[in-house]
Amino acid sequence: MQVLINSEDRAYPECIWQPPADIYRIEQGWLVKLDLAGVRSEDIHLSIQGQHLIIQGLRRDWIVEAGQQYYSMEIAYNRFKRVIEFPNHLEHARITTQYRDGMLLIWLKTAPQGGV
Amino acid sequence: MEHSTYPTLPLKNTVLFPHLVLPLSVGRSGSIAAVETALASEDKLIAVFPQTNPRTEEPTEDDLFRFGTVGIIKKMARSGDTVQILVQGIERVERLEVAQSEPYLSLKVATLSEPSDTGTEIEALHRTVIELAGRMIELVQPQVQVSIHHIISDVEKPLHQIYLLTSVLSLDFDKEKELLGASTQAEALHLMYRYLNHEVQVLEVRQKITSTAQTEIDKKQREYVLRQQLEAIQEELGEKNPEQAEISELRRRMEETELPELVRKEVEKELTRLERMPSAAPDYQLTRGYVELALELPWNKTTEDRLDLKRAREILDEDHFDLEDVKERIIEHLAVMKLNPEAKSPILCFVGPPGVGKTSVGQSIARALGRKFERMSLGGLHDEAELRGHRRTYIGAMPGRIVRAIRRAGYKNPLLMLDEIDKLGRDFRGDPAAALLEVLDPAQNVEFHDNYLDLPFDLSKVFFVTTANTLDTIPRPLLDRMEVLRLPGYSDEEKQHIARRYLIGRQIREAGLSEIQLSIPDETLSYLIRRYTREAGVRELERVLGRIARKVATQVAAGQTQPVTVTPKELVELLGPERFFAEEVRQQLPPGVAAGLAWTEAGGDILYVEAALLPEGKGLTLTGQLGNIMQESAKAAQSYLWSHTEEFKINQKTVRESGVHIHVPAGAIPKDGPSAGVTMATALTSAYTHWPVRNDTAMTGEITLSGLVLPVGGIKEKVLAAHRGGIRQVILPKENEKDLRELPEHVRQSIQFILAERIEEVLTAAIPELNRLHNRGAA
Repeated sequence: MQVLINSEDRAYPECIWQPPADIYRIEQGWLVKLDLAGVRSEDIHLSIQGQHLIIQGLRRDWIVEAGQQYYSMEIAYNRFKRVIEFPNHLEHARITTQYRDGMLLIWLKTAPQGGV
Repeated sequence: MEHSTYPTLPLKNTVLFPHLVLPLSVGRSGSIAAVETALASEDKLIAVFPQTNPRTEEPTEDDLFRFGTVGIIKKMARSGDTVQILVQGIERVERLEVAQSEPYLSLKVATLSEPSDTGTEIEALHRTVIELAGRMIELVQPQVQVSIHHIISDVEKPLHQIYLLTSVLSLDFDKEKELLGASTQAEALHLMYRYLNHEVQVLEVRQKITSTAQTEIDKKQREYVLRQQLEAIQEELGEKNPEQAEISELRRRMEETELPELVRKEVEKELTRLERMPSAAPDYQLTRGYVELALELPWNKTTEDRLDLKRAREILDEDHFDLEDVKERIIEHLAVMKLNPEAKSPILCFVGPPGVGKTSVGQSIARALGRKFERMSLGGLHDEAELRGHRRTYIGAMPGRIVRAIRRAGYKNPLLMLDEIDKLGRDFRGDPAAALLEVLDPAQNVEFHDNYLDLPFDLSKVFFVTTANTLDTIPRPLLDRMEVLRLPGYSDEEKQHIARRYLIGRQIREAGLSEIQLSIPDETLSYLIRRYTREAGVRELERVLGRIARKVATQVAAGQTQPVTVTPKELVELLGPERFFAEEVRQQLPPGVAAGLAWTEAGGDILYVEAALLPEGKGLTLTGQLGNIMQESAKAAQSYLWSHTEEFKINQKTVRESGVHIHVPAGAIPKDGPSAGVTMATALTSAYTHWPVRNDTAMTGEITLSGLVLPVGGIKEKVLAAHRGGIRQVILPKENEKDLRELPEHVRQSIQFILAERIEEVLTAAIPELNRLHNRGAA
């Protein structure tokens, strides 16, 4: 029996996949960009726990055309979860999101950087 | 408990566990349809159930195991008629009912909540299982240095760890199914423990078997490799095996040695035979020994003679006192060798009593000539084969003594001393004397044939010297081959010189003393010679001197520092009571007793002949172990007297009426020889006339029936014995006068010699009364 073991999956066994993310340091705080193509915005759930930003949700597939046959599939569906740790507490951060072209942009605006 | 309906994928030989990802190849049409249905769903979920019997091709609900896993298809790819999918297990489910069976199987399942039972038992089981799993990994793949803890480090729950372990350990299908069916952690752990325990035991036994087999193989392998190496080394050295190496070595020696053509051919032949012979063959060692002998024999090796006569003379003088005749003869011999190297070497035979230096004269000759000295004793040799070798067909065959001596010498021209040639035996095993004839005959020994060697060896360059105590027992033909050189005994004075020059110093050194520590004055030495030794040679004298030296050494070792001078009185203390008495001459000789002089192997001796008349007795009785010749001498003496009774005033009646008994004491010693003739005649005359014989007179000589006194041998020994015994008048045959020259001057001076031609002269010299009668008669 051959089993593929995915360490990411093992880290969060309750989720099926993890969306890739880019993280930027911006003047007011942080910008997180998540590849969440095909995920309905209502299926995305954000939460803050201390220094952690938790993004979880569900990607559902939909039928494009009747009578189609699946030939190859590489996109992960179903539950996803991503936990991103930051160096500072995020409790008081102001969060704004934008879902644009399949990417979820999350601004975490904390207190302005002293002297910058 | 949630109930859901999923398209269902039956698995033939594998089990999907929650939290594990499993690649699957889907080929059956129903299965493909189920996968496609799952893919078409939003969440891509599919129920995966192991079949109860893997061989069922179109399984229905009843062919599936009760428990299965709901998984999500993460990836999919189509290749030909099969669909490759990657399924990640999510949770355990239990099938409830069939939702649909065509075109694919769809089951209604109940989701089973994940067990979360805890406790000490689970903890203990968990640890044991991890330990066992580690052991098993070790046993299965010892070369993989991955610890079980590393594999399961990221997984916290024991159940998840067990699921993960299934992917690491190769459990069989049924066991995996059972494990999937476990509803609690404890149950899963128990199952896992059972599997692992069994597995580990099996593996351990297997490992033991393997390692035993491996050890066996390793040993064989090692031996094989070593043998290969050995072979390679030997091949490199040109030695295929030890025997081969030995033969090659022999062959090399043969090539390097200068051998006569005949010998080379023979050795070559034997070597070839040896090469073809297995080393275990009984002949192998014999043949090898033979080849070695043939190669070692000095076929052409000779030492160069140093023929410097002056130096030779010096060496002989240095080593030996007196022996003038012998030395002169040896020098003559060397001179001939110098002038005519091709002359056949005559064989010298040194005859003399023990201890007079026969062997050492031989050694001196070898030293003077620069030849190797080899000695072999023939004493008690019975077997001809001993001398000439056994034929090689006999087991334990050996070359004869002659060949062995030559081999030891290493040169073909050594001085070979054949000791005790007079003691050669002779019996059913052959006649060694006959073999010696061939050895000693210059005409034959050019091609001496040893039975073992079986090749002619040239003995003509060997300088043979033989020694004997007496010539009597040497077979005549053998004696003919040799030139006899007599080494007579030494007189007391000569012994004294020899002791001074050679013996005392040697014994002092041997005892570890210095010459200052022990001195033996002349007086002591002469006392010693007369009272403690009675021999012709000096062997006993040397032994006695050695005893004195050792006694003194004992004293010195005990701490005495004063030099010791041995006086005659101290001799008793050192050596015990005197062994011989100088006054062995009988003080008063009764009528009928006369002193004769005898030659013995140990030198000369005084021998008393006693004659007694037996009234009314008859004839002549002889006692004292007398040999034939001596008995004949007695009869001749008696007959002569009887026919001359008038002349000696012997009473005819007495002659007629009494028998005669002649006895020669020292009865245990056999005595033979004619030289007691005059003594017996004298004793008889004395007995018949009742006039005693002079007690200071001794005599020797053969007697004839007509009264002639004939010469005898061994004059020097006899006179020396008389001198030792204190005799002042010696009667000798006239013809022996020339022998007197051999005597030392002081002996000649102290003894009065009567040289007799006829018995009457002997009798008148020996019996004073008869002398007076004669004088009166003459007057």
